[in-house]
Amino acid sequence: MKNLNIINLTKGETFLHQLSGTTKVRLFAVLMVYVTMSFDLPIILPLFIVTIVGLVSLKPSWKVIKPVVIFVVAMNIVNIVLFWLANPHCGFEYTGDKTVLFAFTDYLVVTKGTFWYLTVRLLKMLTSFTTSLVFIMSITPSELAAGLTSLGLPYKLGSIVELAFRYIPDISRDYENISISMQCRGLELDAKKIKPIERLKQMIIILIPLIVTSFDRVGNISNAMDLRGFGKGKQRSYYSEYPERRNDTIFKVIYCLIALFCVYYIVSGLISPRDPKMWIYWS
Amino acid sequence: MKKESIGKILLGKWDTKTIVGVAIGIALFAVLMVYGSIKVFTNTNLSLAMIVPVIVGGLFGPLPAALVCGLGNVLADLIGGWGLWFDWSIGNAALGFIVGCLKLYGADIEDGVFDIKHMVIYAVLAVLGNILAFGVITPIFTKILFGGELNITIAQGWFAAVSNATVLIIAGIPILKALAARNARGKNLTKE
Repeated sequence: MKNLNIINLTKGETFLHQLSGTTKVRLFAVLMVYVTMSFDLPIILPLFIVTIVGLVSLKPSWKVIKPVVIFVVAMNIVNIVLFWLANPHCGFEYTGDKTVLFAFTDYLVVTKGTFWYLTVRLLKMLTSFTTSLVFIMSITPSELAAGLTSLGLPYKLGSIVELAFRYIPDISRDYENISISMQCRGLELDAKKIKPIERLKQMIIILIPLIVTSFDRVGNISNAMDLRGFGKGKQRSYYSEYPERRNDTIFKVIYCLIALFCVYYIVSGLISPRDPKMWIYWS
Repeated sequence: MKKESIGKILLGKWDTKTIVGVAIGIALFAVLMVYGSIKVFTNTNLSLAMIVPVIVGGLFGPLPAALVCGLGNVLADLIGGWGLWFDWSIGNAALGFIVGCLKLYGADIEDGVFDIKHMVIYAVLAVLGNILAFGVITPIFTKILFGGELNITIAQGWFAAVSNATVLIIAGIPILKALAARNARGKNLTKE
């Protein structure tokens, strides 16, 4: 629960923090396309390294990050194993390789193609995670809204995302408080001691007060916003947004180049489909 | 009470209150999606988050509910760290729209109207919505956005549909009933 502290509400000191919201949101959007578009190691690995460097440069508090990273890595590995159990030949479509490296039974075999595919898939998931982590840790809710508006979205949508982002830490704190006070009254929440259906029932007991307190806020917040004249104009400006600085210009060039590369890669893949579908080290 | 037209109910009223309500809904959805769930299958959880769009739908209408489901899923993907999967977010948005239709068939959480009839319609809609969202819409978008991998998506889709329908019915009905009872006013009065 505590790891939702990764959302910060004030601007930090480091290089990435100091970029404008527009730059961050646009760079992130381009990078998401970049990660999603392919399963090629030469495309994914450099971004992975760059985001790790970016993460270190943010000088995060490692105590907060460590549990998140452990949780995500463990979850992704479990997912990969389940993928393999569901279909031991799932890599065939991508690599076109069925060389058996190791066989448990007739069904459960490890093929070279599947092994390579799942390894790259794991790296792809982790890259997507580090990219989102760097993005979330470097941005504040207000900058996020400013950035989304700069993409041409209506500012009311930007405000929705901003408010949601702002209230995630509050709601998770409420959740924790309610859960602790319910446990004081004798509610058993330990996953090892009770069955999933029992657990579902007890989650409902926590959920009702959480929903009531959360939606009670709506009146207060919307009145406060109405009093400040929210939604009266067609456009709005943002306090956190300022004219482009030197670093923003440099990043503008970078994300434009990456976007061009993405367009080239996707279009060329559509015109002449690659065979095999991903980059393989042995061919 | 004035009867509103169906189109107006479907779109919802986009004033400040709705915007804040949707935002709080998204935050609640994301928190529950990441931390209030029980694992079932790869990338699929028995998640209580699915209750949130129903309540938002009951308070503000189907389109806000769809927005809560879709954007909430994107935000949960961001903080949860399993990568962005827009095909699932779109499927979720469709489901949110369908289960958010409470006002269309007369249930009104704000005024405490939620009877047996509404429960039955709600349960049927929950099942149909899940089949449509994860059996049809999500695989289509997976094909468009990522191509291939359909077997796993369909398997995940069925797990998601079953677990969501379970949560929506087993947990949703008691919660809606409790909330309706909390908001009930003037229910025992008859017009003379």
